Amino acid sequence: MDVQGQQMTEPKTAPGLFKRNPPIAGEAEAIERAKAGDAEAFSKLYALHKRRVYTLCLRMLGNVSEAEDMTQEAFLHLFRKIGSFRGESAFSTWLHRLTVNLVLMHLRKKGLQLVSLEETINPSEEDSPKRDFGSRDTQLAGSVDRVALERAVASLPPGYRMVFVLHDVEGFEHNEIAVMLECSTGNSKSQLHKARLKLRELLRQAESTPQDNLKEAAL
Amino acid sequence: MTLQKSNRSTPLSCAEFQEKLPDLFAAGANGHIEDPALLDHLSTCENCSALVRDLQYIADQARQLLQPTHEPSDDVWKKIQESLAADPSYAEPNEK
Repeated sequence: MDVQGQQMTEPKTAPGLFKRNPPIAGEAEAIERAKAGDAEAFSKLYALHKRRVYTLCLRMLGNVSEAEDMTQEAFLHLFRKIGSFRGESAFSTWLHRLTVNLVLMHLRKKGLQLVSLEETINPSEEDSPKRDFGSRDTQLAGSVDRVALERAVASLPPGYRMVFVLHDVEGFEHNEIAVMLECSTGNSKSQLHKARLKLRELLRQAESTPQDNLKEAAL
Repeated sequence: MTLQKSNRSTPLSCAEFQEKLPDLFAAGANGHIEDPALLDHLSTCENCSALVRDLQYIADQARQLLQPTHEPSDDVWKKIQESLAADPSYAEPNEK
């Protein structure tokens, strides 16, 4: 598969990838059976990976309908190309790269194809995290639960959210993100930093704002 | 990665310190600081210390999100099955 000019090959194994995405019981056998065209093996692989693929799509797209469509696309691509998986990386890493590339291609088709993501992933000044050198801050550590973080991530401007999800959640390196987003490594680092600053701002607001209003607070 | 040691003798301002944060947090260092000038600033600036702690905390907490929390509707698998049924090449043994 060639997704937006990127060959769907296995990523070079980076340190920690297998640790981060350890093999799942029964997965290897299902992969081999799926390569031989076993429909039940497809079903097994779908059951094993549907939640992570869908969650990834949902975080990147922020829309249930589109996330379901892209989940469907990702698995159809997977089933068509599973013969090219050679086991040099974790299967889930390979699948996630495939999914990310499909989602990015989808986003470009929606209107980003003429403008590079280098420009479009930069949110407006209004969305940028506020710089606050003078005030004494209360400490965030220890006070954030998973739900609050999930809500805050969903409230991030799309460009920040994309880099944060790819780097901090999915574990891609900046050079990999730069290739996927067609931006510079420096831009990826800068966006990630701004994303974390914005998250900090949102999480601190959330501590004093009712959860239902978090999205409003992000605007 | 850790930042190279600076040779300056004047204390860093908060703005100067925070300009260095993206590199400080890139390449897996996650805010680990060795540069004496940066450490000096941190030792005297509670605001920047809290900022660094929070950014480290957010990066750490992000790993929680790797575990999926959302489930696609049953329609997704139905549509996949329909596509598989409509295109026999999906179910044929792969040549590679």
